[in-house]
Amino acid sequence: MKVKVYEDEKLGEIVYSAKHSSGLEIMVVPKSGIKSAFAIFAVKYGSVDTFLQNDDGSFSPIPEGTAHFLEHKLFESEELDAFELFARTGASANAYTSFEQTAYLFKGSEKISESLGYLLDFVQKPYFTAETVRKEQGIIGQEIRMYQDLPDWVVMFNLLKALYKQNPVRIDIAGTQESIAEIDDKLLYSLYDRFYNPSNMVLTIVGSVDPDKIFEQVEKSILRKKQPVPVRNFVPEKPSAVKKYTEAKLSVARKQFLLGYKENIQTPVMKIEDEYSSAVLMEALFGKTSKFYKKYLDEGLIGADFSASLFNGYGYSVFMIGGACDDPEKAAKCIKAEIAAAKKNGIEEACVERAKRKFYGRMVMGYNDIENVANLLVGLYFSGNKPFDDMKAVQKITAAKVNKRLSVIDEKASALSVIIPA
Amino acid sequence: MFSKTDICDGVDLVCVKTDSFKTNMIDISMALPMDENASANALMINLLKRSCKAYPDYIELNARLDELYGAYVGAGVTKTGDAQVLSLSIACLDDRFSFSGEHILNDCVELLASMLFSPNIKGSSFGADNLALEKRLLVQRILEEQDDKRYYAFQKCIEVMCAGEPFGLPKAGTPEQVEKAKMAEVYSAWKNALKSAKIRITAVGNIDKRFITKTFKTGFGKIEREPCEIKTVFHKKGSKFARVDEKLPVNQGKLVIGYRAGMEDENDNYYAERVMVDIFGGGTYSKLFANIREKMSLAYYCSARLIASKGIVIVQSGIDTEKEKSVSAGVINQLNEVRNGKFTDDIIKSSKLAIKESLTFTSPDDYCAWYSSQILYDTIRTPKETADNIEKVTREEICAAASRMSLDKIFMLVAEGAQEGNDEG
Repeated sequence: MKVKVYEDEKLGEIVYSAKHSSGLEIMVVPKSGIKSAFAIFAVKYGSVDTFLQNDDGSFSPIPEGTAHFLEHKLFESEELDAFELFARTGASANAYTSFEQTAYLFKGSEKISESLGYLLDFVQKPYFTAETVRKEQGIIGQEIRMYQDLPDWVVMFNLLKALYKQNPVRIDIAGTQESIAEIDDKLLYSLYDRFYNPSNMVLTIVGSVDPDKIFEQVEKSILRKKQPVPVRNFVPEKPSAVKKYTEAKLSVARKQFLLGYKENIQTPVMKIEDEYSSAVLMEALFGKTSKFYKKYLDEGLIGADFSASLFNGYGYSVFMIGGACDDPEKAAKCIKAEIAAAKKNGIEEACVERAKRKFYGRMVMGYNDIENVANLLVGLYFSGNKPFDDMKAVQKITAAKVNKRLSVIDEKASALSVIIPA
Repeated sequence: MFSKTDICDGVDLVCVKTDSFKTNMIDISMALPMDENASANALMINLLKRSCKAYPDYIELNARLDELYGAYVGAGVTKTGDAQVLSLSIACLDDRFSFSGEHILNDCVELLASMLFSPNIKGSSFGADNLALEKRLLVQRILEEQDDKRYYAFQKCIEVMCAGEPFGLPKAGTPEQVEKAKMAEVYSAWKNALKSAKIRITAVGNIDKRFITKTFKTGFGKIEREPCEIKTVFHKKGSKFARVDEKLPVNQGKLVIGYRAGMEDENDNYYAERVMVDIFGGGTYSKLFANIREKMSLAYYCSARLIASKGIVIVQSGIDTEKEKSVSAGVINQLNEVRNGKFTDDIIKSSKLAIKESLTFTSPDDYCAWYSSQILYDTIRTPKETADNIEKVTREEICAAASRMSLDKIFMLVAEGAQEGNDEG
């Protein structure tokens, strides 16, 4: 395998990357002074993958929640399950499914190569039966219930449902009680076959590791041959929201709200500069040094948990602003007025510079954490970026770019999601 | 490298000097007896976090933190044994990453010290508006924490188990107590913490120990210290068993089972307790995970944790309410298996490896959390010593530790079903 080297001198980090003949991307970041390593084996298959492409190019639907269901099942094997294997090395293993990917991971400081072997092995060798899949429905059913009691979770998904008519981002990552009932072993095997193809996967490992040894180990351990990468279904949505207001009752002490602005996107993947310029925009308008924050925190309209961010991924992009609040309608009105005023006057250069400096600092701090670096590299790779493109992007942010991002915020594409105490 | 220095009576400084990180962190933890001053103390630490004499408005302080490359300031209120621990911390980028050679770390040390020693006060007042804001935010935070039903049920079980003890009190008091706190009480809370709290400063990273020592020696030099004594009450056995429940309109029930560990103090049998509780309900190899979740499919999570500072073990699980009996019977059954030695040598090995792995720290936060959690103790356990002692625990000691556990109370949050839980629109 040919090894490419990416270096950020100021940051003091080097990423060694190589492409396996199967199409698997491998990235290794050695770190001195840290005893542990953190590894992620990830597949570009998340909750937004609710369609499969047919040979003729058309798309057929699959039940919601399959990526997450497979994540649960891959830990099993015919003999020892993955947890039992990792228990031998002391590594702590886990997995998660997000909107866009499923990731299998471990953190360990002893026998790292043995743990890496287990990781490569269990993800590549699925084993489950009709019976074990049925059994998992009970566990996942409890997981879905648990999330349905979390106000932050419910307020966000209700907002996404109000903004998007079709985009699968509107559905809970684990699916629904009904959709998981449709999932069986045969379906999972066929989806495994389509998505868990090395060209659709990446392996990152960060910490106390030697890149050459990792490449050598992985070179021998990949079982499948190169196959075409599954294509995602991008269905552009209407620019306007499905509905302007949605509410739910939950067992909470106070009302909570999330105001969202859907962005009218023509291409499914956003440029990283646009992503970071949006973060700086939200910070300048609603961050903890903004006039808005000061005024309405002092007035008692918003609380310490008030936050604003861009939520984006394949085929979706939403500016989300919210928190706990006794009068969500009033808060939404004030936020809209603030955005309108900013559109008229523009965002000041000084605000942009301060926010940029903060982001730069926070991003460098993020490179401290082996878990964060491993996740960051997976995200960059799946969104078509190279290592350290994030650091380059943050330095290129200008007031003009931030103001350009402000101009895409459209009131017609907004919706308000509210949680009311039951 | 690890070192511990005395700053003055009852104040020590723990330094972990390392250049493995891009971030440095300094944490000041202050332990006081958990009592009726809890709310005033909690308000005080949040006021110290919000502003200081040099940056009297929170917007100015936040702007200064942004200038310091997004340095984080944190304030925390926790319980350790029968003490309330207030903490104020700062995490910042290391100097080598600054654009033009600024001394980010030393600026942050000075800022943190000025937040502690020179708060934004006029006479003996933090300002009526500032206190009103902090009261509102603290009440909101207390209520929001209760919205997390897993945490809520856990707290309720502790409250029932330790009724009448300091550990049974809510860490920042009740919303009513917060509302009632007077300016004079909050001001005295600050004076009192500086004078009588047991204080540990933990500094981790590329730190300048001399500078930190000097800064805090100067600050504490002006204060006449009279450090308090904090003694935690341990009950080796559970009192009369009771099951308490509460109905709420939620989707999932929460079962919390509280045990007394049988410990006389926080050091009593500590290592065996840790391994035993981990085998019972720690990792994925544990008895509870393997049986309640994997074998019986009754829960997504079912785990046990040891609160060594109080000698308590808590089992938690999110379940269907009607399955309560099956789950609690399963938990009791698994504990009996640990008592009777029905677990493999492989589990012991896995558990020891996993605990040792959790002691391999990868961030300044990990180190700060480790040392500040031992604030009540003068003799500090290092991660290395702890790992060595975990290794020595025997099968017999594990069974004996499990046999010492006694059931105390059960708290069940009964799910009545959310009324309009999820919007299917």
